[in-house]
Amino acid sequence: MEENVINQSKDITIVEILDRVLNKGVVITGDIVISVAEIDLVYVGLKLLVTSVETMQEKRLTIVKPDQEKK
Amino acid sequence: MKKIIYAILSTNQSHTEISDLVNDIKGILDVDIYTLSFNDISIAVSDFTPSNDITNRELAIDFARVIEALSQHLTLLPVRFGTFIKSDEMVHQLLTNHYDSFFRNLQKVENKCEFGLKVLCDYDTFSKKISAKAAVAEEVQPHEYFSTNTIHTNYLLEKIKKNKLEDTLLKHVEQLIEDISGHLIQINPDSKFKKMVTSNILLDAVFLVKKNKKDEFIQAIGSFKQQHDDLQFLLTGSWPPYSFVDIVIK
Repeated sequence: MEENVINQSKDITIVEILDRVLNKGVVITGDIVISVAEIDLVYVGLKLLVTSVETMQEKRLTIVKPDQEKK
Repeated sequence: MKKIIYAILSTNQSHTEISDLVNDIKGILDVDIYTLSFNDISIAVSDFTPSNDITNRELAIDFARVIEALSQHLTLLPVRFGTFIKSDEMVHQLLTNHYDSFFRNLQKVENKCEFGLKVLCDYDTFSKKISAKAAVAEEVQPHEYFSTNTIHTNYLLEKIKKNKLEDTLLKHVEQLIEDISGHLIQINPDSKFKKMVTSNILLDAVFLVKKNKKDEFIQAIGSFKQQHDDLQFLLTGSWPPYSFVDIVIK
């Protein structure tokens, strides 16, 4: 099995975790739920993090591309 | 005191077994988790005392740890982080009112786990390659659209070229989805695809894979990756089945 297929980057894993716990799963809304204002702040932080997946990946590409290193 | 909900659990075992299992896992802020049950389904909750910094990123990550730990032993439906309910009675009411929906979704994800796959590209390089292949640029000739050539028509031509390129990229992504699905046909996972999430993320996919086919799936993605060295593949997992829960309770 190719071990390096699964991404091991801690930063990317955290983004993936936050994306899941904040955006997916069973959604319960309405009167039954108590709203918590601070949740919104976590969401704002998450949006910044999710866009950073690309940046993280780009940085990695920059490091590993041999033809770019020569320039 | 508020209750925070973690997950809906399929609990065929006796209540004592479930309690023992859940007692071994600490909730967020190191508080004990307990379950409230109806027939063979339970909800995992813990008490939650309001404080000033109750919802931060670390807590969300800790919440994910709890879901992950529970999913090692039980089939479950994760509940979105930040779901607080006033009392045990209301949690119980939630369970009884939505039992059928929970049951159906639990059956769908039984013995399965989720993988995430992002396919990324360097947009400039990739779009040049695609457009050269499809001869997009050559197809856009000013005389086809405008009788005169002005600064305005040039601007519009650029827009037309860009739209054509995006169409070509989209077709390429659709072909990629078809190829991935074909490559995984033996494993037969459920899947969801989001196309062209950003200019660099061509595809954001999730797969629901039988637990006994995890290794086979990873291997298949590995071999697919080798056939597409102009793209970057970001495979993550295995995860509890976050993306395959279709329950919105209002």
